[in-house]
Amino acid sequence: MTTSRIELDRPRCEGHGLCEEAAPDLMHLDDDDELVIDQPEVGPEDLQAAQDAVRVCPVAALKLV
Amino acid sequence: MQHVAVIGNGVAGLTAGDTVRRLGFDGKIIVVGQEDHATYSRPALSKSALDPSRDLEVSYLPEATHRGVERLGCTAVALDPVSNRVTLDDGAYLEYDGLIIATGTSARRFTDCKREYVVRSVEDAVALRKRLQSQPSVVVVGGGPLGMELASGAIAMGCEVTLVHRGLPMEHHIGPLFAEIFADVASERGLRFVDDYVTSLHETPEGMSVHLTSEPALTADLVVSAVGDAPNVQWLATSGLLSDGRLVTDQYCRVRENIVAAGDVAWSVSPAGLQRNPVWTNAIEQAKTAATALVAPGAAEPLNFQSYFWTDQWDMNLKISGAVPNTEEEPIVAKGDLGQRSAVLHWPQLGSAAALNIRMPIPRLHRLARTSTVTV
Repeated sequence: MTTSRIELDRPRCEGHGLCEEAAPDLMHLDDDDELVIDQPEVGPEDLQAAQDAVRVCPVAALKLV
Repeated sequence: MQHVAVIGNGVAGLTAGDTVRRLGFDGKIIVVGQEDHATYSRPALSKSALDPSRDLEVSYLPEATHRGVERLGCTAVALDPVSNRVTLDDGAYLEYDGLIIATGTSARRFTDCKREYVVRSVEDAVALRKRLQSQPSVVVVGGGPLGMELASGAIAMGCEVTLVHRGLPMEHHIGPLFAEIFADVASERGLRFVDDYVTSLHETPEGMSVHLTSEPALTADLVVSAVGDAPNVQWLATSGLLSDGRLVTDQYCRVRENIVAAGDVAWSVSPAGLQRNPVWTNAIEQAKTAATALVAPGAAEPLNFQSYFWTDQWDMNLKISGAVPNTEEEPIVAKGDLGQRSAVLHWPQLGSAAALNIRMPIPRLHRLARTSTVTV
């Protein structure tokens, strides 16, 4: 089973939170609106949500590697 | 369906290509992109790209996952939807079974003068930033969010800036309440407003002359035009797909059975009428809907998403979820104090919420916008 990993370039993140909307099971903004990646290792079942989250970031702060 | 052609490699084309593949399409995908480099985020070009405290950093998007063939630096010049053929600018033909049109828009401009700048592409933003470093005098034409963001950037870089706009800048985009706050802050920062229409621009030996309807002409070293964008549909002129010059889709982003369109290029039919809403989240949602309608029509659902708009200017940040708050309805202050220019506001009847200078994740803002019950 192959897994991918979500990487966050934190200085780029502006806290829009569109990624959380796309993948609420994988990441969330905490009470200080800092992005927390709850599940950095992504299996096939979550790949689609992870790709959506990475794609929707308007400042390209997320990567799937 | 064996061959899907995506014309356009902005975020809409990229997302559409990826979605087609994700839906299980195992045929060939070919993507034609006018720009000869990777896809990037356009909203950042007029925001962080002109911030003198930051290096210019282009927000290139994560690579495509569609495993298609990319033809970059290449433009489609004609479409024949009867024989399912796209003509490219090098004379080659592209045959398709399914076509995704995502050719975006071009910035409108008055002239071809080099002293008239626009910001649509990364090259535009790089050129303007470079020019602003020598602190020229600037006239910005157009007081939409783009014009105001660019005026903010130019002032931050030390330029003397005049903005020409008939009426209150951004009122149409963010509503009068926020528009007045932003105009006040911009004035405090030294932006000069001229409330008038521009009739023409002229290059002079000294710079640019900006002719107005009623006020005397303005002069400046350069002009930045932010007067809207025009869909790139010239290549569809003989296709028979345009109605009144517009590429119109249904709620599934369909133009024909095997042709869909997504992103800024497309007008779509909605319960509220024909609309074109050229913003980031819309381009992405349209792309997903269009791709689904094309290769998995049974799974397609009509476009229905919560609108999201944001702007960064004058060191202020505004996010709006839902319709533009331009109603008579008095907003509820959910947090903060509008007098301090820092507040979260909610219009329950309108179904909108906004955060001014308060960090507020979009899911939370969307939830607030959708809350219909008024809590006291």
